[in-house]
Amino acid sequence: MTSFRTGLAWTGARMSKLMLHLLGRGATNFPGKVAMKIQPRMLSLLCENENAIQITGTNGKTTTTHMTVDILREAGFYVVTNVSGANLEAGLITALMNGKKGLIAARKKSIPTAVVLETDEAAFAKTAGKVRPKVCVVTNLFRDQLDRYGELKHTRDCIAKGLDACSAKVLLNSDDSLVAKLRDGREDRTVFFGLSAESMRYNNVTYPGKSADLPASSDAEYCTECKVKYEYASRSFGHLGDYSCPKCGDKRQKPRFYVTYDLKTSPSDVGFPLELHDGDATEAVKLSVPGMHNFYNSMAAVATTVILGEIIDDSSKLNFSACSKALMQTKAAFGRMEKLTVGDKKICVLLVKNPVGLDRALSFVSETSDADSLYMLLNSNVPDGKDVSWIWDVDFESKILPEKVFVSGDRYGDMLLRIVYSGIDEQHVRYGAMKDCEKLLDEALAACTPGKCVYVLPNYTSMLHLRKCMVKRYHLKDFWK
Amino acid sequence: MSYSLTLCHMYPDLLNLYGDRGNVLSLIRRASLHDIDLRVETISLSDEFNASKYDLVFLGGGQDTEQNMLRGDFVNNKGPEVKRAIEDGVVFLCVCGGYQMLGKYYEEHDGTRIECLGALDLYTVGEDVRFIQDTIYEVDFLPNVKQMTNSCILYGFENHSGRTYLGSDVKPLARVIRGAGNNGEDGFEGAHYNNVICTYSHGSFLPKNPAMTDYLLRTALVRKYGEEVTWEEVEAPVEMLAREAVAAYLGI
Repeated sequence: MTSFRTGLAWTGARMSKLMLHLLGRGATNFPGKVAMKIQPRMLSLLCENENAIQITGTNGKTTTTHMTVDILREAGFYVVTNVSGANLEAGLITALMNGKKGLIAARKKSIPTAVVLETDEAAFAKTAGKVRPKVCVVTNLFRDQLDRYGELKHTRDCIAKGLDACSAKVLLNSDDSLVAKLRDGREDRTVFFGLSAESMRYNNVTYPGKSADLPASSDAEYCTECKVKYEYASRSFGHLGDYSCPKCGDKRQKPRFYVTYDLKTSPSDVGFPLELHDGDATEAVKLSVPGMHNFYNSMAAVATTVILGEIIDDSSKLNFSACSKALMQTKAAFGRMEKLTVGDKKICVLLVKNPVGLDRALSFVSETSDADSLYMLLNSNVPDGKDVSWIWDVDFESKILPEKVFVSGDRYGDMLLRIVYSGIDEQHVRYGAMKDCEKLLDEALAACTPGKCVYVLPNYTSMLHLRKCMVKRYHLKDFWK
Repeated sequence: MSYSLTLCHMYPDLLNLYGDRGNVLSLIRRASLHDIDLRVETISLSDEFNASKYDLVFLGGGQDTEQNMLRGDFVNNKGPEVKRAIEDGVVFLCVCGGYQMLGKYYEEHDGTRIECLGALDLYTVGEDVRFIQDTIYEVDFLPNVKQMTNSCILYGFENHSGRTYLGSDVKPLARVIRGAGNNGEDGFEGAHYNNVICTYSHGSFLPKNPAMTDYLLRTALVRKYGEEVTWEEVEAPVEMLAREAVAAYLGI
């Protein structure tokens, strides 16, 4: 009965995929939805005997997933992964159904296989028991669309629930007090990754940034157990750093995998030098996807693949040295630091979905040498979160932004106000509603100095819209094909 | 004569949800346009709140974890002085959680009552369904903003599961034109008592409502310097644009 049901689920999914393609639409979620309806155990069946990895957390999921996939492929693995944005159960199922044939064929040829699934935090609670991953990564916990999830503690509870539904090795960010707490009760299967505490301290002291008049809103200043403010010996960004609670003694754990770095040059430049460490082993690498937040994503991806290698006993291919070298070959993920060349100018798209993402993107633009202008797009559709007031949580004031600023999106008025309140002269800002978004991109490009770059910071649906325009104009490959 | 005011930003490290910080940025910006020297001080857990030091107080909203962390400190340690400040006419802006905390109690789903400050005659009941939407309210007491029409129409965004009910000693802040307001039933939003303004509208509240920002500043000036303060209207072109953009988005 079950197999008949499963067969029917496959047929239903295939037909819906065909239909969507005939209609010219991407099919990253719907076929999985159909399959789930017919066979509720679909995800569980698809993940039978797979080397699965799940990556969750509020920021950096997509990039970490992307890097992990690239490292595995470089090591000769056949890898199936989901498309960014399709990270709920239906999206995971769709990806696995599309990839199942390939997985089976690869195994027949004795090619090693893996499944790497970026998973939404709430969906993680429901899917980890079905996916039965060998490794789970929790990147970080920052405020993110709180209208959807309620609060961060709830988000963490969802992740905890998922971790308890599987027996995976748990890879946690040591510098995030909210994430690190997930080790409680899972000590024997937890591994930490982070930045070196010594490095953070050295860089804090050597290159103190411009301080803000009004500090950015922060997420985890207090120990949730003791209601006492954490003391920080050093910080990387946001609430990430070398923290300790003066009352209960809860403190950052020394990570097995850690990054050392020196900010004497800008981490916004490709090729920024880093050292990755696995205990006593060290590998010098160059950052392939720029931005300081990618120190964490890079380390997480290498750690994930090394740990998978240990679990499946394949350390000949997935060892620390090989994985670190493979990391340097990785490219930016969809909408994350994606650079596009248009004549002698460039467009770089940085998706921003929440305060810390926007803070990192603005820092990036502030530090990079090729920024000509900044183009912000803000929508408030359901996938974006209806509430856009989070833009006020971000410290724009201490950033050194380009003089030319463009603003669009359904909520361009809110973003325009935010920009002007940060001290940018309104005369230098060009703006318009979503219908003008292409026109404004043209203006930004026309005004751009040759050799320089227009930095576009959209949120989710405004990125999809802009991306669609760009696919058409610059003949890009559609991301769902 | 140049004026100076001191703003107390309470618990910015705990109550900082949904862009409440924007309200402080607005007060700073409009104060500077009105040539008022506005000093901002922050106080948090275990700091003393000395009412006589401040002309304005801002209290935002937070996540439940954070609000539970500070409620005891707010009610028991700072409470008596906060009540004194309110009776003394200090200007307060309280948003969402901060608003609820000034009331008598917050009743949770299961009927558990959390005692609050009781400075204002109101109480809140927690419900399952959250109100998450754009809001428009109307008030009748705001000063003019130069070249701005409809300055008494307020644009906001609400994001709350609590339903607040006002007692007879407290007036609502505004009439709801769009959105749920205090409880989705009586057509009113927020609370107004002495110089205390309470609202469910988050971080974009003051930035898009310069007349309200001006009202808070002017009220604090009058309290400190007397009715004779010089006050000139200042324009708000970008704010007007943002208001028009929201109105267009909402199809108004």
